[in-house]
Amino acid sequence: MQTPITPQEARAALDTIDRGRRRVIEEIDVPRWYWWGLALGWIALGYITDLKHPWITAAATLVFGAVHSAVAPRVASGRHRTHQLSIRAELTGRRTARLVIGAVASLALVTIAGALAASADGARHPVTVASVFVAVIIVLGGPQLLAWVRRRAAQAGAS
Amino acid sequence: MNAPRFDELIHPGTRLSLVALLASADWAEFAFLREQLELSDSALSKQLSTLEEAGYVTIDRPLRDHRRRVRARLTEVGRAAFEGHVAALQQIVGTAEPERVIA
Repeated sequence: MQTPITPQEARAALDTIDRGRRRVIEEIDVPRWYWWGLALGWIALGYITDLKHPWITAAATLVFGAVHSAVAPRVASGRHRTHQLSIRAELTGRRTARLVIGAVASLALVTIAGALAASADGARHPVTVASVFVAVIIVLGGPQLLAWVRRRAAQAGAS
Repeated sequence: MNAPRFDELIHPGTRLSLVALLASADWAEFAFLREQLELSDSALSKQLSTLEEAGYVTIDRPLRDHRRRVRARLTEVGRAAFEGHVAALQQIVGTAEPERVIA
């Protein structure tokens, strides 16, 4: 059977397909408002904890957890940066949401460790200090985490 | 991976770019596709209509922010055709994995 196109034309077509895939990979991200909201919520929770009212702290933690649980499943997958596109789960890797939420959970441990260190150092508001530190990590590190997810997605397609 | 099958409908340049975008997405809005492909509204509509008539694409018009949006998505038939086309292209350039022969 005669081949409908030459190998060079087929290669050019495959390159076109790869460019399309990479354009969509570039759209993998978590909205900036998620990182900023998380960071501000984290600081607020740290400040409330420093007020040393257990019931208020417990209530604030529950509200924080509930709001995050409502928002994170929608955005943490990295598949819905905008309303214009829903990226296929195969492209982002099914573990992206778990990666983001796992990173957030591990930052809770960093906050506790930071608060203990700040408290030992005599800080008046140790949890607030630790929360501000973690908030900076969230705002700066969150986008970096998703950049890594994009690189991984691009490499998965290239391999 | 689907069996290699060169698809004349998908292969033309603009349509190939369009289907390649849709293949990586659950769905994409008309505005996103137009921006990525740098096409006019009429040119993109024409390409989508051709794919829709072939059963490769479905068009939805959900309401968001009080405005109708146009969303395109590949159907199962369209996705299978695209995968078959990619396999055919790979076969032509000789990069497709050779079939395993069982003695």
